[in-house]
Amino acid sequence: MIWRFTLRRLAVGLVQLSVLIVAVFFLIRLLPADPVARFVGMNASPEAYALAEQSLGLDLPVTRQFEAFLFGEGNDGGGLFRGELGTSWVTGSSVNQEIRQYLPVTLELITLSFLIAVGLGVPIGVLGAVNPGGAADKGTLVYGLFAGSQPEFSWGIIFIFVFFVVLGIAPGPLGRLSPLTDPPDFVTGAITIDALLAGRVDIFLEALWYLSLPILTLSFVLSGPIIKMVRENVAQTMNADFMFYGQAAGLPRGVLARDALRAAFAPALTLIGILFGFMIGGAVLIESIFSISGLGQYAIRSILAFDYPAIQGVVLTISALTLLIYLAIDVCQALLDPRVSV
Amino acid sequence: MRLTLAYDRCVIFMAFALAACGPSQPNDAESNSLIYITNDVPAGLDYDGAASTVPNSQEGIVNLMDPLIDYAPGGANEEGVGLLNFTSFEGRLAESWSFDDATLTWTFNLRRGVLSCAGNELTADDVVYTFARAKSVSGPAPTGWFLASVASVESFDATVLADENKRSLGSEVTKVDDYTVQIRQSTHNQLFLPALTTFAIRIFDSVEAKKHATESDPWSHDYINNVTAPAFGPYCVERWDKGNEFVLRANPNYYRGAPNVERVVFKRVPQSSNRFIILRMEQADITKGLTPREFIKLKEYDQLQVVGVTGNESLFVHMNFDSPPFDQVKVRQAVAAALPYSWIIKNGYIGQAQIWNGLVPSSYPGGKSTFHDSPEGLDVARRKLVEAGYPDGRGLEVYEDALRLSYPIEKEATLGPIATAVRTALRDIGMPVELDPIPLTQYGDRQLVKKDLPFALNDQEKPIVVDAGYAVQLFFVSSEAGAVNNMINYRNPRVDDLWTEARAERDTERRYNLVTEIYQHLSNDVVWLPVVEYRTQWAARQGLQGFIWYPDNGIRFADLSYAQ
Repeated sequence: MIWRFTLRRLAVGLVQLSVLIVAVFFLIRLLPADPVARFVGMNASPEAYALAEQSLGLDLPVTRQFEAFLFGEGNDGGGLFRGELGTSWVTGSSVNQEIRQYLPVTLELITLSFLIAVGLGVPIGVLGAVNPGGAADKGTLVYGLFAGSQPEFSWGIIFIFVFFVVLGIAPGPLGRLSPLTDPPDFVTGAITIDALLAGRVDIFLEALWYLSLPILTLSFVLSGPIIKMVRENVAQTMNADFMFYGQAAGLPRGVLARDALRAAFAPALTLIGILFGFMIGGAVLIESIFSISGLGQYAIRSILAFDYPAIQGVVLTISALTLLIYLAIDVCQALLDPRVSV
Repeated sequence: MRLTLAYDRCVIFMAFALAACGPSQPNDAESNSLIYITNDVPAGLDYDGAASTVPNSQEGIVNLMDPLIDYAPGGANEEGVGLLNFTSFEGRLAESWSFDDATLTWTFNLRRGVLSCAGNELTADDVVYTFARAKSVSGPAPTGWFLASVASVESFDATVLADENKRSLGSEVTKVDDYTVQIRQSTHNQLFLPALTTFAIRIFDSVEAKKHATESDPWSHDYINNVTAPAFGPYCVERWDKGNEFVLRANPNYYRGAPNVERVVFKRVPQSSNRFIILRMEQADITKGLTPREFIKLKEYDQLQVVGVTGNESLFVHMNFDSPPFDQVKVRQAVAAALPYSWIIKNGYIGQAQIWNGLVPSSYPGGKSTFHDSPEGLDVARRKLVEAGYPDGRGLEVYEDALRLSYPIEKEATLGPIATAVRTALRDIGMPVELDPIPLTQYGDRQLVKKDLPFALNDQEKPIVVDAGYAVQLFFVSSEAGAVNNMINYRNPRVDDLWTEARAERDTERRYNLVTEIYQHLSNDVVWLPVVEYRTQWAARQGLQGFIWYPDNGIRFADLSYAQ
């Protein structure tokens, strides 16, 4: 049953992705700017323009460009169907290679942030729900309001000012490592993992140190909705018949809370999944403020330069990942609640 | 409750543990490394590549590659920033050179024993390779070809772009022997030597470059764009993480002596406010591209210094001759008279600018002008509008689209307040101006290619060849006369004729007079409305010395050293 459900969702996801591929390709070409202008620069003679247009493949009819995007130019082994996203017009590097470089940076940042946000948010939410009106519950409410009162970039700036500038106990917004430190060899692209794989505990700790403020910022903001969602769901579940039965049977509060959490976890999981998918592209401001060269920064740079291959690559990557995350959520929900997969 | 306390303790413990593990503040002076925080790191190192239009990439190129010749030192300004003498040249990779007037041929005698980062010796083959590569126009932005054509190197003309058969090098650049090379011009042109000093036409290590050529990429664009530019400059690439870091190591073989700063780490910090606080907290050594207010604030810290120069960065108003009402000189004069110049200097640039009284940077030879010597002010502006047939702006409402003042939205922080002040001043005289911030790419497309931007603020044009005549050729001659970037569609046959004459003029004094006459026409016609020249500045740790200003505004790290 679960396999059939998974395959069905996967098929829907592929259709969505196909529509997206067509939409992204044609929509960016409708934008009111010509990328060739950026490349010819001071030499904007008609001849130079024509040559640049030709070298970027923009002299071809748009349908021919789409064909090249899907199947590659001639027998160059490229094209989306062969897993090639093309070459960036700005850097001249392969877009696959660049996404391979930038994506793990963002994934590392948001995964660590989510681990802390969930690690803190879920128990705090449960605590608030099992003691409604208590100090923990009130504290949770205030914290949730506080964390959600300003966008993450605003908290990022405040944290930099307080912890780096005023107190001097946090590193500056210089990325994932000190500029003077040589990073470990690239294996996964996640610097904490690569440092451990290289046996460099010193670099691992330094990376955690440099990532501490961006992680604190993101987990602070993300934990707000997680706490609120968990608290509400657990509180609702606590009023369910099976919980009254458990109370009447004299089960300890810890056991009741665990059972309530399990029942309430499906909606919270959906929220966490949606937030995670959103943050893959949405961490751009945090990346910018903390000078972290992740996928969001790459996307912004590509959009501002009208670097079509890079824009297409980023959008498709984020979309594919988001679809996979949603699929994983659906499968998890189906496992938690078999009624979903029917 | 016990649970929350445990969590709290855990978080506090983790914070202290991390703080204890955190590295100490970098002490770069001792380690002879230098951290340069910049809005971006080079995106490519190929001056014929797409990234060559990006100043950060040019800054990478000039630290890796040396030219045949460069400008001689020209003293220093009151802040100790070294200046160049733009009328005098000295050898770099070339030890000496001569010019044969009869055959229009330059002969360069190359320095012997010059070694590249890869350990290869400079020979005439490297110079021939460099020009052959430029003429191949195989990169998407063939800047090498462009500057060679500006310098009138024979057969480096527009036909090269149109005809594939004209893209191989003939006898215009020839090897005489291993250390002598000759370059022939098609006509007399005084831009030849200035063009050789720019970031393009710098000499490649051909032996190393050829090792990375492939059948589909015979000129090694991929390698140069993604690994390094093999050359004979002061630094070699140690590590390059695009979009994040760019690390240079001193070339131990550098022919002018190993640089004092052994290692330079370019670190991308996109936010100027972050660059400000990082430098303030002494976690980096040098930065640029801060706002005028941030530079002023940094001057308050004893451990830091801010130095700068009025170089070639300026702001002007672009008014398109093909977009009525800007086809009328009286309207352009009305705008010129109405602008709040003092407000712009005081508030837009916090005093870090001066009025621009010409169309050429005042630091360039021939840069003196008298643009703003005529009376200005709102009354004068209103009178000009009356003379143009638009008393109190009546009748201008039909030009609603043309009266939208554009500027790059990415420069909102600096240009936004200035644009608002300009709009307010022009509305005071009755011109119904609206603001139109647009993305830089769209701005560039309309300005450079479509040439249909009617009215705009522009702070990004810097003639990199230091010559008043070069700016004429670049911006002001008509397209029929071979204009390259006449973004305002200005056409004046007299200017075209004067430039044709000046370009081929051998006598420097007479050429100077011709160019001065051209600028008189340009000023009278208000082709551009020059507003201010703003300062190019750097903030650095105290003790870091040796700053020299170059027309591309890139820092040469080999010039720098720490005071003992």
